[in-house]
Amino acid sequence: MRRAAFAAISVPAFMAALSSLAAGPADSGETPYAWNLPKGFPQPYVPAGNPMTESKVELGRHLFYDKRLSVNGTQSCATCHRQELAFTDGRAVSLGATGQPHSRSAMSLVNVAYSGALTWSNPRMNRLEEQAAVPMFGEHPVELGLKKDDGWLASLRPDPTYQALFRRAYPEQENAVTRDNVLKAIACFERGIISARSPYDRYHYGGEDGAVSGAAKRGEILFFSQPLSCFRCHGGFNFSDATTSARDPGREIPFHNTGLYNVSGAFSYPIPNLGIYEYTKRAADVGKFKAPSLRNIALTAPYMHDGSIPSLEGVLDHYAVGGRTIPAGEYAGVGHDNPNKDPLIGGFRLSPQDRQDLIAFLECLTDRAVLNDPKFSDPWK
Amino acid sequence: MRFFGSLRLQAAFLAALGIPFCAHPAQDQAEPPAITVRGDLAAKLVLSADDLAKMPHQKASVTEQDETPVEYEGVSLREILARAGAPVGKELRGKALASYILVKARDGYQVVFTLAELAPEFANETILVADKRDGKPLFGYQGPFRLVCPNDKAGARSVRMLQEIDFVRLQK
Repeated sequence: MRRAAFAAISVPAFMAALSSLAAGPADSGETPYAWNLPKGFPQPYVPAGNPMTESKVELGRHLFYDKRLSVNGTQSCATCHRQELAFTDGRAVSLGATGQPHSRSAMSLVNVAYSGALTWSNPRMNRLEEQAAVPMFGEHPVELGLKKDDGWLASLRPDPTYQALFRRAYPEQENAVTRDNVLKAIACFERGIISARSPYDRYHYGGEDGAVSGAAKRGEILFFSQPLSCFRCHGGFNFSDATTSARDPGREIPFHNTGLYNVSGAFSYPIPNLGIYEYTKRAADVGKFKAPSLRNIALTAPYMHDGSIPSLEGVLDHYAVGGRTIPAGEYAGVGHDNPNKDPLIGGFRLSPQDRQDLIAFLECLTDRAVLNDPKFSDPWK
Repeated sequence: MRFFGSLRLQAAFLAALGIPFCAHPAQDQAEPPAITVRGDLAAKLVLSADDLAKMPHQKASVTEQDETPVEYEGVSLREILARAGAPVGKELRGKALASYILVKARDGYQVVFTLAELAPEFANETILVADKRDGKPLFGYQGPFRLVCPNDKAGARSVRMLQEIDFVRLQK
């Protein structure tokens, strides 16, 4: 029932936005964004300087998918954040427009509006308007590779589509095609990518008993049980303890060392991925990373900050032994004994049936609707 | 897991690592759900879902993460302890005040409460053993029974998958 209601509200809103873009007069730019949040989902935090409007979200969608936003016209935000992969890229680490590899795996953008920490290990990066500039202009590594002189904006200004979109999104501004406005619009689009229609949501919040399998129901109980305690870091409606909302936007976000590595040398994790130590410089923070949302986790392989575990089964192996052992090579070490390991990562025993049940539970967090929703799709196709 | 030969060796190895070896909360569901109250009592009390449903229910409103109120219905924990024969009212004095209950969940989770926390003569905390949420039976990892502690700021004492209550007298 709720799913039908969601569609009934959101589709007309989307169609209205489309029709105004196609032919109608410029709107005020202040049409409030229709979140259509289901039960269980709090109001996301939105910074006062960048209120959500339908026009900005639509502009942001065009920018997000536009390869003109890269130094050589080869990449857009969507290159590393593909809708069909829950806005990840399927790679262990991402490759920039010039071929330079990133040191970490692209994070999902689904429900990013609720993320109190936007990257794997920067506790200070919590505003999408700020974060979007990193892949656009960053040089270490080069991602989209745009030059900071803003010459790239010149390629957008003559485009009649953008002239209309910017005018609607920022009607009060004479020259609306600015870097600041681009960043704000992309942030609005990203904030709107909400996943709330998985089989699990229908079961847990909607009371639809047949929405998930018996295996997934058993897996849910294991997930929320004391011996496994997965929920201690991946709990709440968004399955992440890095979750914030309008109620608590400044909440301090915990980061965790899960015993993924224990290499010899000055640091127990391989350089350059040292976790929040990179910012705090506290030895106890080496190897501490964000616990990402598990929504759509079945689609976002490979896993962990560096994509070093290829499958969900491998992730269960890592946690079941209380930290991964790498027997030989450059990264050899017993992660179980990492001195900074979170005490929650103690290990647990899983029967083959438990393992299947847990995987079934994780798979029922996949929201097919968000993967196909035209509101989040490439408008240039 | 290839290190492990026999079940006993597995248990020894896992115990050495401090790895929980038991607790399969999902599998225990095959038995009919019930709450057992046992310990330093004249007799143990077993309450089935039907038994609990027949006892007087109270409602408690709790605010969820999305700020919507959720209404739990259940039986006062105090009422269940009284039925089991734990000291209440005028009996709850002297040595009886050195008593506690250990609330245990199907997954091994445990929380301690003292009798005086619950007694109207003392802290007068209303804690419910809930069997319904918004009018529907509790299911999945919440149920079929759970504690609801409406005045707690954190949720950790609101034991889910409640299965057993052990009553312990420290002074006899």
